[in-house]
Amino acid sequence: MSRKGVGLAAFDRSRITSAQYASHGNNLRSSHSSSLATQLSVFRSLLQQFAQTHAKDIRSNPSFRAEFARMCAAIGVDPLASSSGADGKDGGGSFWAQMLGGSVNDFYFELAVRVVEVCGATREENGGLIGVKEVGDRIMSTRMEGASEITDDDILRAVNTLKPLGSSYSTLTVGHKLYIRSIPKELNTDQSAVLEAAQLLGYVSLSMLTLNLKWPRARAKTAIDDLVSESMLWVDKQCKEWEYWSPGFMLEVEEDGNVG
Amino acid sequence: MSTNLPLPTSVPPADPATSTIPTFKFPRDYHFPPFFTRQPTLQTHHAQLQKWSSLILSYCRSHRIFKLSLIDALDTDLFWNKRIGKRMSLADVKEVVEYMRKEDRAEWVGGKGAGGEGGNEVWVWWRTPEEWATAVYEWVDETAQKNTVLTLYELTQSEATLSKEFHGMDSDLLQKALNILVKRGKAQVFGQEDQQGVKFF
Repeated sequence: MSRKGVGLAAFDRSRITSAQYASHGNNLRSSHSSSLATQLSVFRSLLQQFAQTHAKDIRSNPSFRAEFARMCAAIGVDPLASSSGADGKDGGGSFWAQMLGGSVNDFYFELAVRVVEVCGATREENGGLIGVKEVGDRIMSTRMEGASEITDDDILRAVNTLKPLGSSYSTLTVGHKLYIRSIPKELNTDQSAVLEAAQLLGYVSLSMLTLNLKWPRARAKTAIDDLVSESMLWVDKQCKEWEYWSPGFMLEVEEDGNVG
Repeated sequence: MSTNLPLPTSVPPADPATSTIPTFKFPRDYHFPPFFTRQPTLQTHHAQLQKWSSLILSYCRSHRIFKLSLIDALDTDLFWNKRIGKRMSLADVKEVVEYMRKEDRAEWVGGKGAGGEGGNEVWVWWRTPEEWATAVYEWVDETAQKNTVLTLYELTQSEATLSKEFHGMDSDLLQKALNILVKRGKAQVFGQEDQQGVKFF
């Protein structure tokens, strides 16, 4: 309260009161902001501490990692965005890099590399459209035993890290399934509908589409033929009516029928 | 689903070692029905050929099959997934073999290669003849049997080689491998049919 009387005795009382209010308001504001600053710095150091002590958990425990990422998102910090430092914002970039020692980011970057590998390796068989779950499965199968688990959430975040590279990697949802698309190509609505239908049984056939979607035969045939020529469907001719299978279904086929 | 399939007659691969080998685990692709139909799209077909190639190689390695008779194999579980009722046609199998031949993972028996269309039997190189030659030579070296005469029978059938991959190897293939060693000047083969011996240097 270092208010100095300005010696304006002539001013009426209301004037003084309003000035007092204003200055009091200023005081409140500054004390609030300083306490907020303190809180923020405490929070930062705590978060830092937390991230440091749990860096290993963050790396190795998928659910913990997901929760951490979710928490960061909830309080408005994106560990991935701020770590890329693409915007050159010193505060953001170095802050998170320092805090996590790059471990969380590295985790996602490494994962992103693996995702790119898997997409590249399977592009021929699925036309550049692969289920997120399948990617995770393939990555897990090539990892060492006892390696930390990878969740769909991790993979989606990893794909997001590829965005600054201007790459064609993106995610899209067809029906109830998430896919990663590694070839920049738009599916039209008919093709999406066919893929969605193929999720149910693993395959579609011409008559299935004409019956269930009430499509004329030509329309169904066009959509299927397009998808086949894009490697997004595989044809099975050893049935009464040709069946068109989604390559993602290779994963889901049961494997209990091994014959010696 | 599937049309008129003949009765499933399980023909195990003709190999004595089969019984001692743990169950072969088929890859996932094997349970994917379109895997058994030739894919019309070039790209997809290429992926399919690759998958088949690696399946055949690992199957033959697991079952110690050196020479694969296509006609017979069509009725085995390799090319016939009885559970999902899908099977490969001979023409498609031949296409896979041609692909493998170009990758140096297979060779038509007796055929020079390109003209192998009519062929039925095929060498499956899950080890190339060069690799077999090296393996045999290393074994001889390890067991200090250089400069001694061994019979061909001994090499592949005796108990001494039981733990080796070339145990039970087809005699024609053994000949091929030995010929490579002969060319390298590391072995000499002599004797008549059925009673051949070999000496390593």
